[in-house]
Amino acid sequence: MTTSVIAPTRPSKNRLRGGTAAPHKPGDKPFASGRIVSFIALVVLAVFWLLPFAWAVSTSLRSETDAASAATWIPAGGFTFEAFARVLAAGNIPLWTINSIVSASIITIITVATSALAAYALSRLDFAGRRWLYVAIVAAIIIPPQVLIIPLFYQALAFNTVDTFAGLILPQVVAPAMVFILAKFFAQVPIELEEAARVDGASRLRVFWSIVLPLSRPILAAIAIFVFIGAWNNFLWPFLIINNTSLMTLPVGLQTVKSAFGVQYAQSMASAILAALPLIIVFLFFQKQIVKGISTTGLGGS
Amino acid sequence: MNSSPILPEKRTPLGKHKPVSRRSMLLGSAGAIGAAWLATGLTGCSAVAAGGVVPLSFWHLLTGGDGIRMSGLVDRANSENPDFKATQTVLTWGAPYYTKLAMASAGGRAPEVAIMHASRVPGYAPGGLLDPWDLDMLAKNDVTEADFPQLVWDKGFSDKKLYSVALDIHPFILIYNKDIAKKAGVLGSDGKLPPMSSPEEFIAVARAMQLATGVHGLSYGYLNDGSQLWRLWYTLYLQHGATMELPPGGTVKMNTDAAISAFDFMRKLLDDKIATSRGDYATAVAEFVAGRSGMFLTGVWELPTVQSACMNVGAMAIPTLFGTPAAYADSHSFVLPHQNDPDKTKRADSYRFVADILKNSFDWAKAGHVPAYLPVTENPAYRSLKPQADYVEITKIVNYDPAAWFSGSGSDFQNIFGQNLQGVLLSGADPAAGIRGFVQQINTLLSKPSPV
Amino acid sequence: MSTSTVKGRAVAAVAPIRARAVPVRKRRRDHLTGYAFMAPFLILFALFLVWPVIHGLYLSFTDQSLTGHGGQFIGLANYFEAFADGQMWQSLLNTLWFTVLSTIPLVLVALVMALLVQQGLPAQWLWRLSFFMPFLLASTVVSLIWAWLFNPSLGLVNSFLASLGIPPVAWLQDPNVSMISIVIATVWWTVGFNFLLYLSALQNIPDQQYEAASIDGAGKWRQLLSITIPQLAPTTALILILQVLASLKVFDQVYQMLNQAITPSTRSAVVYIFETGFTGYRFGYSSAISYIFFALIIIVSLVQLRATSRKSL
Repeated sequence: MTTSVIAPTRPSKNRLRGGTAAPHKPGDKPFASGRIVSFIALVVLAVFWLLPFAWAVSTSLRSETDAASAATWIPAGGFTFEAFARVLAAGNIPLWTINSIVSASIITIITVATSALAAYALSRLDFAGRRWLYVAIVAAIIIPPQVLIIPLFYQALAFNTVDTFAGLILPQVVAPAMVFILAKFFAQVPIELEEAARVDGASRLRVFWSIVLPLSRPILAAIAIFVFIGAWNNFLWPFLIINNTSLMTLPVGLQTVKSAFGVQYAQSMASAILAALPLIIVFLFFQKQIVKGISTTGLGGS
Repeated sequence: MNSSPILPEKRTPLGKHKPVSRRSMLLGSAGAIGAAWLATGLTGCSAVAAGGVVPLSFWHLLTGGDGIRMSGLVDRANSENPDFKATQTVLTWGAPYYTKLAMASAGGRAPEVAIMHASRVPGYAPGGLLDPWDLDMLAKNDVTEADFPQLVWDKGFSDKKLYSVALDIHPFILIYNKDIAKKAGVLGSDGKLPPMSSPEEFIAVARAMQLATGVHGLSYGYLNDGSQLWRLWYTLYLQHGATMELPPGGTVKMNTDAAISAFDFMRKLLDDKIATSRGDYATAVAEFVAGRSGMFLTGVWELPTVQSACMNVGAMAIPTLFGTPAAYADSHSFVLPHQNDPDKTKRADSYRFVADILKNSFDWAKAGHVPAYLPVTENPAYRSLKPQADYVEITKIVNYDPAAWFSGSGSDFQNIFGQNLQGVLLSGADPAAGIRGFVQQINTLLSKPSPV
Repeated sequence: MSTSTVKGRAVAAVAPIRARAVPVRKRRRDHLTGYAFMAPFLILFALFLVWPVIHGLYLSFTDQSLTGHGGQFIGLANYFEAFADGQMWQSLLNTLWFTVLSTIPLVLVALVMALLVQQGLPAQWLWRLSFFMPFLLASTVVSLIWAWLFNPSLGLVNSFLASLGIPPVAWLQDPNVSMISIVIATVWWTVGFNFLLYLSALQNIPDQQYEAASIDGAGKWRQLLSITIPQLAPTTALILILQVLASLKVFDQVYQMLNQAITPSTRSAVVYIFETGFTGYRFGYSSAISYIFFALIIIVSLVQLRATSRKSL
C-alpha cells in the first residue's frame, strides 16, 4: 500500500527514504544556520534518547563489584562479559525467550486469522445482524483490558486455566481494533475482482484466500507485526495468569523472579539487554513495514 | 482514496519478494524453535523428567545472605536425596511474593513447597490457599511436636490443622560492637553488656557508646519502612505487659498508655545525639558496620552482614526495660500451597525435602536465625556458635504479630502502622493522634468481612 | 485531509461498506457463510471480551474473594464503599495527574522531533532508530533501565547532578518526585510512536502549500504556524486521544519501578484495582472500582471525541 489513509492529496516527496537528496523548501540555502541549529538539536535529542540504553550496556559489561561502585562510563576493572555469561547460564532467560516467541507467534496467528475472516465477512458479506455486530465490535475497541483483569482471572480459575498456556494466550487474541482496520481495508479492495471470481464459480473462502488476502499483504503484515510486538511486550495479563517460572514470558520473568543473591546490577542490566534484543532485531528486519504500518493505519498497535 | 492498481493474482501489489523470503526464513526458524520447545515438554505439568528424578518447585523470598544460605541448604537436600531435585524460585520480599503465592495457590498449580512468614499464615489457611501438613507423615520424617518450642509449634495451627512448620525464629535484637563497648567502659568481664532493666540504664549505656564513637551511640533505621518501625515499637510495647488484639468484626484492643510510653522512649533514643532521628534501614546498617555507633537495633538476619565486616560483636535480646520480657519475632515456615491435584510422589518428597532442611538447619543458624528444630539448638555443638548461642533462649519470650488476615511481615498492617506513626519520630508528631489514625484504619479493615 | 474524522470513523466506515454492498439477489445465501467466517472471532470475542464485561459488572455487586469464598450478592455496597474510599479517589487523581504530566511532553516532544527530522538532514536512519527504538522495549526492560538510572547512589542521573553540585534526589523513593520520574521514563519509552505519526503526517502536507506561502513572502516560522500546525491538527487529535487513554490505563511502569515504595500519592487506578483484587483478595470490591474507572474512561473518550469532531467541523 503506497498511499496514506490520512492524506489523499498529492503527497510530498518521501523524506524518509535515505537522506541523500535533502529536499528543501524554496528559498532555503542548503547550509543555512537554521539547519545547523536543527542538526545540533537532533543530535542532542538523539544522544539523550540513546543514553539510557548505552548506560545499560556499559553497566552490563562490567563486573558486579564495578557496577556496585561509583558510576563511571569506563569500569575500573575493565569490560567483561561475565554478567551475560552468568545470566545465560542460569537458564531462565533463554527459556522465557522461547516462551515469548511461541506465545507471541501463536497469538499473532490466531488474532490475524480470526480478525481477517471476521473483517471480510463484515465488509463483503451480508447476513442477519451484520450491522449490529459491526457496531458492537467497534464499540468494544474502547474497552480497556485492564478493567477486565478481575473477571478474566475469575474465569481462568473457573476453567482451571491458571498457569496454563491456553489461559495465557486466549484472552490476548481478541482484538476488535484489528477487525475494524481490516474491515475498512477490505472494503476498498475493488469488488470487480471478487465478482469476477464469483462468476467463475469460486466460493467465498476461495475469493477471500486467493484474491483479497494477497492484495492485503501489506496491511496484514503491519497488523501481524503490531500484534506480535504487543503480545511480546504484554505484561499485565501474563503477569497475572502465570506463576510457574518455566511458563513465564520474558517481561514477566524479568520482573518477578529475583536472584537469591540479591540485587546484582550488572546481571540485571545484562538481562534487560538480552530481553530487548529480540524485538530490536525484529525491528531491523521489518523497519519499513513497521513505519509504514504506523503511518498507513494511523492507529498502529494501540 | 486511491487503491493500488489491479494486478493479476500471482504477484503481490508491491512486486517485491525480498521481505517475504526474509520473513519466511524467520518464521521457519521460529517454527523450528517452537517445535523444539514443545518437544522438550516444557508445559509446566508435573511430568517426571528423564531418569526418574522428581522435580520439586520451591518458592521463597530470601535474598542476600539468607538467600545464599538457603541455596546451600537446598543444594544439600538435593544431594542427600538424589531421587528428587528441588529448584528454588525467589520473588521480591513482601507484597509481590505474597500476592503471587496467593494467586498461584488459588489457581491450583502452585509450587510444591514454599516459605511463608508464620504471621502471614492466618491470611492464607482459612481461605483454602494452603494444604494442611499430615502429622503422621511428618512424624515419619522425624518432625514432631516435641521437636519445636511449644509457642512456635502452636503458631502453625489454624482451625486445629497444621499449616506451617517453622524453620526458624528471627527476632528483633540488640547487636553491639564489643570493641566500642570496651572503649566506652561498658563491657563486662564476661564480654557482655551490663544488665539494663530500665529505660534510663539503657540510655546511659547508649550515651557512653556515643562518647566513645564521637558520632552516634546507636543505629536504628525505620524511614519509609513500616515493618522496621513496628518491630522495635512492638517489642517495647509488649515489654509493658500490654497486648494487642484484632478481633474480626470488632475494634482494635490495645493499651494506649503503653503505646505512647514506648514511643516516648523511642523518641528519647533517636534524639540525633544518641541516634539519628531519620535513619533508614540501609544507612543504619552502614553506620554500625563503619563503627560510627556501638549498638544496633536490628533483626538477627543482619548478623552475617556485621560478621562479614570482621567486627567483634555480641548479640542479645533487647533488655527488659519495662518489666515484662518480650521480643518481636517472626518465623520462616514451610507451607504446602494448595494444589488441585497433588502428585503423591511429589508430596511425599516435599516432606522429605523439608525434613532434610530442618535437620541441617545448623547452617541456617549461621545466617543469624534461631533454628526452630530443637534437635539442632539443643545439640551441644550449638553452644559454640557465637553470638547466636547468646540469644537462643529468646524463643521463650517471642511474640508474633497479632493474628489477622491482613497482618504479618510486610503486610498492609505494618505499612499502615508506618504511614500513621512514622511522623512521631521523624517530625515530632503527637503519638496519640498517630495511634488514633492507625486504629481507625485497622478498625475499617476489621469491620469488613474477611475475604479469606 | 482524510474524509473520516475520528468521531465519524465508525459511521463513515459503515457507509462505504453499504455503498459496496453485495447485490440483492445474493443476500439470502450469505447468512451461513457470513456466520461461518465470523464464528472463530465471535466465539473468542464472546468468551473473552463480552462475557467478562458482563460478569465483571455482576461481580461488582458481590463480595467474591480470590480464594473462592464469598460470592454473595450485596447490591451496591461495594460502590458505596468505593465512593467513600479516599484511596480510590486518590488513585484516580494520581492517574489524571500522570495523564496530564505525560501527555503534554509526549505530544510536544514528538512534534519537535518530527519537525526536526522532516527537514531531511543526513543520517535519517539514526534519528528514527534512536527515537523509536525504546518503543519496542517491554515495560519491564524500561523499568529496569530507568530504575538503575534513577538509583540514588549509583545512578547516572544523580551522578550527573553531583557533577553540577546538586545533592542526590531519591527519584523513586521520594513520593514527591516519583511521579515525575515515571513520567520521564514513560516519555522516553513511548514518544517514538507519536513521532512516527507526526512524521508521516508532515510528509503528507503538499509541498505546493509551502511553495505558495514562500512566494507570498511568509518566513519559516510563519509557515510553521499557519500551515504545518493546522494541517497536523487531525494527527494531534488522534495522538491526544490515544495518549490520554493509554496514560489513564498506566500500570506497568508504576508497579515495576515503585514496587514496594508505592504510596497513596503515587498509586495509579489500575494499580489500586490490582492491589484490592489480588493482594487484598477482594474481587467484588476491585470489580466495582474497575467499573468506576471504566466509566471515567468512557467519559474521557466521549469528551475527547466530541471536542475533536467539533474542531474539524
